[in-house]
Amino acid sequence: MGDEIGIEFPGLRADWLSCECTEHRSDQGVGERLAQLASRLKGRQAVELRQQQVPAAYRSFFRLIGVDPDQQPTPIEQAVLGRLLSGGNQPQDRISDGLLLALLETSVPVIAFDAGLVSPPIAIRSAERGERLSGRAVSPGSLLLADTEQPLCQLFQRPEPPLAAGRRSERLLLVAVVVAGVSAIASDEALTIAAAAISGS
Amino acid sequence: MAVLLLDHRAGSDLLPECDSKLDERAARSTLHAQIAQLDRLLSATFCEAFPDRLELPKLRAGGPRIQSLGELELLRDDLIGSLREARQALLTRELERSASRELLAAMLLDPAEHRRLRISQRELGVGGCGVWSVAPRLGPIGRLMGWWRVKLSSGCPLAT
Repeated sequence: MGDEIGIEFPGLRADWLSCECTEHRSDQGVGERLAQLASRLKGRQAVELRQQQVPAAYRSFFRLIGVDPDQQPTPIEQAVLGRLLSGGNQPQDRISDGLLLALLETSVPVIAFDAGLVSPPIAIRSAERGERLSGRAVSPGSLLLADTEQPLCQLFQRPEPPLAAGRRSERLLLVAVVVAGVSAIASDEALTIAAAAISGS
Repeated sequence: MAVLLLDHRAGSDLLPECDSKLDERAARSTLHAQIAQLDRLLSATFCEAFPDRLELPKLRAGGPRIQSLGELELLRDDLIGSLREARQALLTRELERSASRELLAAMLLDPAEHRRLRISQRELGVGGCGVWSVAPRLGPIGRLMGWWRVKLSSGCPLAT
């Protein structure tokens, strides 16, 4: 983590965990858990979500980094809105399902990279002048997730191919962005849930 | 002695810059804490004032970045404004509910004076979707005889 960011946002960090993904089709058990979680979610819970500790921590952090959470919802609020709009948590593939399950269970967002293309440790830093991400220029000062060699994606954005884990990825690197007010247990739980759902263990 | 003097001079030159950095750090830290607290208050007030209002995102904002001191101050001021609006909405709604409760009390005391009046549970700030209304006993006969009473409809069975 860049010193400047560490001082500005104490408690902000990226945690990561690697896991295998030998089967990419949706797992029935994970699909059932997603359906159970969907059945518990109603409009009232979606509104009240912002008062819970972990979602509130991400919401506050979004404001501090210049992102209005009412315009660009935090990952958990986006997932809950998606469930309300689509009428359920539709299974997609094993990776997406595992990441969604971890998010809905813990409110901590987890993203997945192809482990073969990423070199941990993963850090959070500001974009430098002239830096590019997936071929596009990034405005200097934007907050990025980066490994030892390259920027990976903007903070709280989904990674893009080829870095993003996809159908050909057999080994994944799961990354959780943790902000102040979110316990290490919540982050560990999110990574573990996602890894277990994806690897099928 | 000369070395000591030089050290002292160098230190005194650096001091104001160091102080200003510490001041800015302290100001930023205070603003962060204020913004977090305001956001919590706003969330709580919003949930109380608009428990069933779920706003869909309007447009994508700029990317994540470290904000300047001025931007943090603007954000803090915006949140104070939003909190004030939410509290005002809450107060207005409470006044409306209070008026509805008073009207219901008057209806119960003298139904004939409040013929055909309807007040929903929602207007009273009570859960469910029942409606209080003044209706005649025994239909047309009651209407002709002036036998008015207050009824509470059972509401929608699916409402919680």
